[in-house]
Amino acid sequence: MTKPLLELKNLWGGYPPIPVFRDVSLTLQTGETVGLFGPNGHGKTTLLRTIAGLQDPWDGGVYFEGQRLNEEGAMRARTSAHVNYDLFRRRRIRAVDAVKAGLIYVMQGNLLFPEMTVEEVLAIAPVAAQGRPGVAEMRARLDDLFPRLAERKTSKIRYLSGGERQMVSIAVGLLAMPRLLMLDEPTLGLSPKLRRELSVAVHKIRETGVPLIVVDQNLEFLTSLVDRLILFDHGAITHELPAAEMPDHATLMRMMFGEGAA
Amino acid sequence: MSFDTFMFVLTSGVLLGGLYALLATGLAVVWTTLQVFNFAHGTFVALGAYIAWQVAQTTTGALGYLFATAISMIAMFGIGFALHFILIKPFEKTNNVVLLAVITTLAGATIIENAILLGWGPRDKQITPPITGVIEVFGANINLFDLVILGVSLLALAALAVFLKISRIGRSMRAVAQNREAAELMGLNVSMLFAVTLGLAAAAAALAGIFVGSLRFMAPTFGNDPLMKALVVVILGGVARFSSPIYAAFVVGIAEAFSTFFLGLYWTPAVLFAMMIAVLLVKPEGLFGHRSKTL
Repeated sequence: MTKPLLELKNLWGGYPPIPVFRDVSLTLQTGETVGLFGPNGHGKTTLLRTIAGLQDPWDGGVYFEGQRLNEEGAMRARTSAHVNYDLFRRRRIRAVDAVKAGLIYVMQGNLLFPEMTVEEVLAIAPVAAQGRPGVAEMRARLDDLFPRLAERKTSKIRYLSGGERQMVSIAVGLLAMPRLLMLDEPTLGLSPKLRRELSVAVHKIRETGVPLIVVDQNLEFLTSLVDRLILFDHGAITHELPAAEMPDHATLMRMMFGEGAA
Repeated sequence: MSFDTFMFVLTSGVLLGGLYALLATGLAVVWTTLQVFNFAHGTFVALGAYIAWQVAQTTTGALGYLFATAISMIAMFGIGFALHFILIKPFEKTNNVVLLAVITTLAGATIIENAILLGWGPRDKQITPPITGVIEVFGANINLFDLVILGVSLLALAALAVFLKISRIGRSMRAVAQNREAAELMGLNVSMLFAVTLGLAAAAAALAGIFVGSLRFMAPTFGNDPLMKALVVVILGGVARFSSPIYAAFVVGIAEAFSTFFLGLYWTPAVLFAMMIAVLLVKPEGLFGHRSKTL
C-alpha cells in the first residue's frame, strides 16, 4: 500500500488556553479532493493553519508523504508560574518546510502584500518551488486560469477586489508547485459572478490532478468538486461522506443539527 | 543675514539632511520590516566609523578611503546580520517582543559602545577626508567633500530603493514587511530576510558614520546624537513610503542648521523635539505618511 499523502493523527490545537479542534484524525490519499464543511467558528481554519505551520499543534501528529512534520509529544502545561517550557521548544511546524514539501495553504481572505503589484508578487511566488520542474508551464497556465490577473498585472494588491485578491492568492499557491493545495473559503464574500469564475478555476485545478482540501460554505460548489465531504462540528469530524452519498442542503442540516433543523 | 551666510547655513543643513536620510532610512526599514525599534542603530554608526578608521590607518589617499569604506560596510553588514540572531530572533516567540527588543538592542548598544571604548580608547579620532577644496555655487563657497558626501548618500539611498523594488531578495523583504504570515506561507525564509534587513541598515549606518567621522571627531558615544535625530526624522516623516523619512531628513537637517545659527547649539534639540511633538499632535502618522505602515 502506498503512503497516504496527508495523515493527521489525533491532532489537537487552538488558541491557549482554549482548544479549538480536538482529536482530529484524517487520511488523504494522493489524487483525492476533500471538502471540509461546517459552521463558522468551529475550527476548520484553525486546523488548516496548524497544518500549514502558522499555529502550534498541541498534541498529535501531522504526516506528509510519510514524513512527520511536527515535533512529537503533547504541549506541556505550564508547570511553574515562572517558566513556560514551551517557549524553549519549537512545537510549530516550520512553514518553510511545509511549503518546500509541497503542502500549500491559501489563507482565508488573504490580504497578501498590499503595497506590491500583482507582477511583483507572482515574481517572488515560486521561491519554494525552486529546483522543481514545471514552474514555467504553471506560470503560462495561470493566464488561462485567471485571465483577469493578466489585465491587472501592474496594480497594487490593495487596489484589487476581493475576488481578484483571492485569485492572486491561489496563483501564488500554484506557483509553489503544490503536492497538496489547501484552499480556505475561496469564495468567501464574493459576488455571484466572481464566485462562478473562481469555482471554474478551482475545478480546472482539480482536473490537473492537484489534490485539494477545500473549505467552503457553498455546499453546491463543494459537492460538485470533491471526492469526499467531511463535516466538521464543534472542533471534531462528525461525518465523512463519500461522493456517492453527497447530501443536499436539507439532509445535511438534519445530519448536523438534528431533526427539524432544516 | 547676508546671502553668503544664508547659503552657508542652507548647504550645511542639506548636508546634514543627507546624513540623516541615510540613518533614518536604515531605522525605518528595520522598523517596518522587523516591527521592532533598533536602539543599537547609533552604535552601528560609531562601530562602522571606527572600523573604517582602523582600515584607513594602513592605507592612504582617496583609494584608501574607498577601500576602508567598503571594508567597514561589509563588516557592518555581517555584524548587523549576526546581531539579528543574537538580539531579536530568540525573543520572537514571546508576545511582547517589541518591548524585549528595546531592551536587547539597548544592551547590544551598550556592549558595542564599551567594546569600542576598550578597543580604541576614549581619545577623539578623525578619518582624514580624501578630498579637499572648495567650489563656488551661486556665489557661496561649498566644500567639495560635502558635495561628494551628499551625492554618495543619495546614491546609496537610490541603490537601496532599486534593490528593494527589483531584486528578488528586496521584493521578498518588502513582502515580509507587509504580511509576515503570507510571506511564510509563500516559503520565504523570514528570519534570514530579517537578518539581511538589519545588515543593510547597519551598512547604511556605517556609511553615515564614516562621513560624520571625517567631518567631525569621533568618540565611542558619537552615534547617540545621530540616532536621536534619526528617531525625530522617522517620527516626523512617517514610514509609509521609502521616501517619507528622506524628505523628513532634509526638513530636520535644514531646520537644525537654521536653528543652530539663530538660536544656538543648545536650543536646537529643543526645537527639533518641539517640531516632533507638534507633528505627533497634528498628524501622528507623520508629515509624509499615511496610516499604513509598509515599505
